[in-house]
Amino acid sequence: MSKDKNKNSNEDIEVSKTLFQLMREQFMEHTAAKYSLLIIVFLMVAALCAPLISKVTGISPDAQNIFNRYASPMTTNTLSEDEEESRVEEFIDSYPEEVRKIIAQIKSDDLAMSTLEDSTDDDLIFDFMATLKDPVSKQSWITKDNFSINYLLDIKESLTTFHLLGTDELGRDVAMRLLFGARISIGVGLLVSFASAIIGLLIGACAGYFGGILDSMLMRITDSLLSLPQLPLMIVFAAVDLGKIPYLNHFVGSENESVIKLITILCLFSWMTVARLVRSSVLVLKEQEFILAAKNLGASSYKIIMTHMVPNALGTLLVAVTINVGSAILSEAALSFLGLGIQPPIPSWGNMLLNAKEVIYESPALTFFPGLLIFIVVISFNFIGDGLQNSVNPKSIKR
Amino acid sequence: MRKLILLIQAVFLMQLSMNTAMAKSTNKPTNKILKIGVAQEFENLNPLIMTMLTTTYLYKMANRTLVSMDHKGNWVPQIVKELPSLKNKKAVLKKGGKHGKYIVAHWEILENAKWGDGTPVTGHDVKFAWETAMLDTVTIGEKEVYTQITKIDIDEKNPKKFSFTYEKAKWDFSQLGTFYILPKHLEASVVKKHGKEPSGYEKNSKYTTDATNPGLYNGPYRIKEIKLGSHVELVPNKYFYGEKPKIQKIILRLISDTGTMEANLRSGEIDMISKIGLTFDQALVFEKKAKKNNWPYLAKFKPGLVYEHIDFNLRNEFLKDINVRKALALSVDRDKLTQALFSGRQQKAIHNVAPIDPWYTDNPKEIVLYKHSKRKARKLLKAAGWKINKEDGFRYKNGKRLSFQLMTTSGNRTREQVQSYLQNQWKKIGVEITIKNEPARVYFGETVHKAKYPAMAMYAWISSPENTPRATFHSKSIPSKKNNYSGQNSGGWKNKTVDDLIDKMDLEFNAKRRAEIASKILYHYTNEVPVYPLYYRSDISIIPKNLKGHKMTGTQFSATNTVEDWDLQ
Amino acid sequence: MTNFIIRRLIQNFITLIALSFICFSILALMPGDPVDLMMSANPKITTDDVARLKALYGLDQPIYMRYYNWMAQVVQGDLGYSRTYKVPVTEIIGPRLLNTFFLLTGALLLAIIVAIPLGVVAAVKSGSKLDYYINLMAFAGISIPSFWLALILIIVFSLNLGWFPAGGTETIGVNLTGFEYFLDRLKYMMLPILSLTIIQMGIFARYARSAMLETLKADYVRTARSKGISRIPVIMKHAFRNALIPIVTVIAINFSFIFSGAIITETIFSYQGVGKLVYDAILANDFNVAMVSFMISVGMVLFMSLVADLLYGFLDPRISYN
Repeated sequence: MSKDKNKNSNEDIEVSKTLFQLMREQFMEHTAAKYSLLIIVFLMVAALCAPLISKVTGISPDAQNIFNRYASPMTTNTLSEDEEESRVEEFIDSYPEEVRKIIAQIKSDDLAMSTLEDSTDDDLIFDFMATLKDPVSKQSWITKDNFSINYLLDIKESLTTFHLLGTDELGRDVAMRLLFGARISIGVGLLVSFASAIIGLLIGACAGYFGGILDSMLMRITDSLLSLPQLPLMIVFAAVDLGKIPYLNHFVGSENESVIKLITILCLFSWMTVARLVRSSVLVLKEQEFILAAKNLGASSYKIIMTHMVPNALGTLLVAVTINVGSAILSEAALSFLGLGIQPPIPSWGNMLLNAKEVIYESPALTFFPGLLIFIVVISFNFIGDGLQNSVNPKSIKR
Repeated sequence: MRKLILLIQAVFLMQLSMNTAMAKSTNKPTNKILKIGVAQEFENLNPLIMTMLTTTYLYKMANRTLVSMDHKGNWVPQIVKELPSLKNKKAVLKKGGKHGKYIVAHWEILENAKWGDGTPVTGHDVKFAWETAMLDTVTIGEKEVYTQITKIDIDEKNPKKFSFTYEKAKWDFSQLGTFYILPKHLEASVVKKHGKEPSGYEKNSKYTTDATNPGLYNGPYRIKEIKLGSHVELVPNKYFYGEKPKIQKIILRLISDTGTMEANLRSGEIDMISKIGLTFDQALVFEKKAKKNNWPYLAKFKPGLVYEHIDFNLRNEFLKDINVRKALALSVDRDKLTQALFSGRQQKAIHNVAPIDPWYTDNPKEIVLYKHSKRKARKLLKAAGWKINKEDGFRYKNGKRLSFQLMTTSGNRTREQVQSYLQNQWKKIGVEITIKNEPARVYFGETVHKAKYPAMAMYAWISSPENTPRATFHSKSIPSKKNNYSGQNSGGWKNKTVDDLIDKMDLEFNAKRRAEIASKILYHYTNEVPVYPLYYRSDISIIPKNLKGHKMTGTQFSATNTVEDWDLQ
Repeated sequence: MTNFIIRRLIQNFITLIALSFICFSILALMPGDPVDLMMSANPKITTDDVARLKALYGLDQPIYMRYYNWMAQVVQGDLGYSRTYKVPVTEIIGPRLLNTFFLLTGALLLAIIVAIPLGVVAAVKSGSKLDYYINLMAFAGISIPSFWLALILIIVFSLNLGWFPAGGTETIGVNLTGFEYFLDRLKYMMLPILSLTIIQMGIFARYARSAMLETLKADYVRTARSKGISRIPVIMKHAFRNALIPIVTVIAINFSFIFSGAIITETIFSYQGVGKLVYDAILANDFNVAMVSFMISVGMVLFMSLVADLLYGFLDPRISYN
């Protein structure tokens, strides 16, 4: 994108700095935009690395601990026995060598009694784990530093979790869910605004370039969609079940259906501003000499639109896209908040708020953080949009 | 930016400080006025066409039915003197009719039962209601309670006395909890004028056009003002036959957002929250909080008859296998589930019969119990040929993953929590659960109703005690296009023995032998696990501490059944 | 002028009809009609009952027939019958419409009164610290999720401080008249209005600022200044009047946004307005209510944009309608 700008600028501006440099300088002068960009980049990197962070810290966004629901921020919890059992099972499956050694030791030292009637050798390990509950016996093993038994001690150790922002209604870690929610919320925002930019670009370019009946028809649709109350319309569309529409059936997976549906609905209602912007800039460009020249030289409409008009409208487009991200995130949150957007258990900031709303008086932190994140991200995108506006607007550029 | 953050921090601190702040010192509610919050809409009180839960809650304050159920689950007479039975000779078993045997029952309405304008309630009102309900133009939902009666005779000398002639002999003939009475002196002219137009009666009924007319109500209270979607104001009905109500004004207020319900309670906008109010989670947290801070409210929980369960679709290629179903049943610790999610305030279900039902049994000799053991479950699955794939941790057989779709209503927090919990539990034995939730309208209207869910559907039903499980267990009740989707055996469970037992039960008039048949049915039900029982729901109310005489029921009859006993001391 | 109005009215009317059909079809296509729902809730309802009820509701006919019937009814002035409340639609919608009207007017007025002066001041003092903070606040206003704000307002102002009720429309059970009634309504409307306006304030302030900046740079303002007319009259008389044109457009366009916001606000505050009705009716498949309230809200928004266009002409004599 910037390269295109670069090329053009060299032709018509005679200055030592390229337009891109000018734009960057201009943008950096906007303090709020600069910091916003930092915040967004940070959040996006964090969201992208969410699985990695989850792996490193050992906290999964889906791991439940229903005995520690609504824990307040900065608390430490122990996972349930269920989780312990699964981890031991996993260990037995993956390290048969070590398991054999441990079983042999348990048997020879008579460390555990079997509790099940039809117990196998593997079951002995579970019974041995139960004896580790006793802190004295645990301590004794730690001091003995037995290599094989250490595996089991490690498992025991990994069951303690720390919750930075507390836990939610199923004892899941709020901080981790917020991080994974960021993937969904920011992801939906970006996707919607890019998709709607493409739709808007096509419609706006066609309307502006071809004019006539096509123009007035497209613009009528755009205007009436713009003037409609969007939320009631979105509610109507959200109530439709995609799975019941015959041809869409195959594309819609059950788990992420709500995400796809939401993106579709949001796209449907957010391309209009872009279309208008593109149309007006195309209208201006159409009369410029270089377009007329291209036309006279016999270039096709497609080529003119794609190689001349689109790159020239990109600046304004960029601003619109950035601001659209913010409003798409807000719309996603609003719909999810009404229970019509992204369905649990997929975490999104909107549906986390919905879940938290019920216990807002008891665990205000649950409501506070998702809302705050939405606010920060949206305001950041808006500031970036503002900064971009300043930098692409030729009037505001100080040369 | 920094200022902004400071501002946000200030708000946050305020929020936290509120946490420690005491509830606003509201005045204790007195008998002058009681304001009740409800979370769902209500409609006008025409009993024939009302369908909403809130309306039935409200209805019982203003109107009475022939019979009702007390808070212990026994059938009791309400506006009639006594329940007719073969024992007290008020009901007679006769031979003849289409079905070989039929019953005639004699009823008598209480001497001083009057409508709110002083007109006595008589058999004519009962007969008029029955005639109106039978009209084709009335959009009444459940018609069977009326159609089972073929004739109503009124005693010429005493119009308070009348008799019902039933189509066939049935042991539960007197359980007419949903047989409603209409005031003939007000409604007869409406039926005469509009009865022939489709929905003509209900559109022009006095309950719709003149809802504050005292003559429409025979209960302890009458409607003084009703604003749909907002509130109802009730005042005592001076012609009420029973004890004089103590509370002078009751206001029922709709607060559809359960999140702000509590705020309304604590800021004094309402004094109590009805059973149609808080979600379970909210009530639990509220209870804890109220105790800690000594708020003047009491959270009441009453185990009920609503049975939450998962229907397994037995047409599913994996769920066909009984061992898979058993493994699923074994691998969830429902004790832990009810303990952790509900603090033990909702009971674990082991089958469809609730503990307050005389048919209830938890005897391990009679039924199959599934004690939680993931290890046993894993062994069962292994034996059935399902092998764990190390990469994703799920089980596979012939290249197919052991994966099910679990569906339920969207927007129901408790169900979504349970759903997530189950997903997590089953993942631990290598079973993948994908989740799909639909709005109630779609889910019940289409998916469950027509058995369109691919594997599992979580929902609940309420059944009164001693209910023959014909609609849910009998193989003829499997909904299909052929029977126009009637019946609720949506999982498609077919068991010849159970079919026979159900047929046998209908003809069994001895209560003890009926219970024996019931426990035999329960054996097959628990052994084959066509349905996975989860828990019985509890009713929840938040009442002011000084409210006496409020009895939660747990049944479909609400605490408002005895609203005249309520007393704010 | 008259021609323009007539043409716009016809256009609006066509849009309305087209939308009504689309909306009708979508609502009709939504699976699970009220009878199915009734049936699944009550196991005792038989197949015969279902057939009888479907015929009574007219659900056994194809969509276009149902649309035709519905349209014919509406044209005759019969808005139909609510399935949820079992009363004529007009009975429910009337008072709700008035409530929403109060809420929206209140929100709009407050936003205009607060935001436009702020925007003007920011433009006049452009580049100053004051400008910077106003700008910051405007951005915050635009970016805050309104439902979150509403929840926080409830916590702070009704639970903590106890200044305003947490929800509702008016005090029930007391008969107030005149000014007292007005005050009572205002008390209940305060928080919903606040949560609605903050976003609008942000938008309006920003537009007011940029419109003002534009006009302040214009030649005629400079000329007026150079003629020696003092600062305040120039700002008020010349610059502000011209800046009003884009501001009015923005207000009119934003009307639909405010209406959308009202749905969420009304739901959280249990405020008895049309917005909440639209939401409830769509979810409960209360067909007639959903259609009528949806049509009314769309009509209202279209009407507002027409009003804006007319005001436009009034404010800017250069625009002619043809």
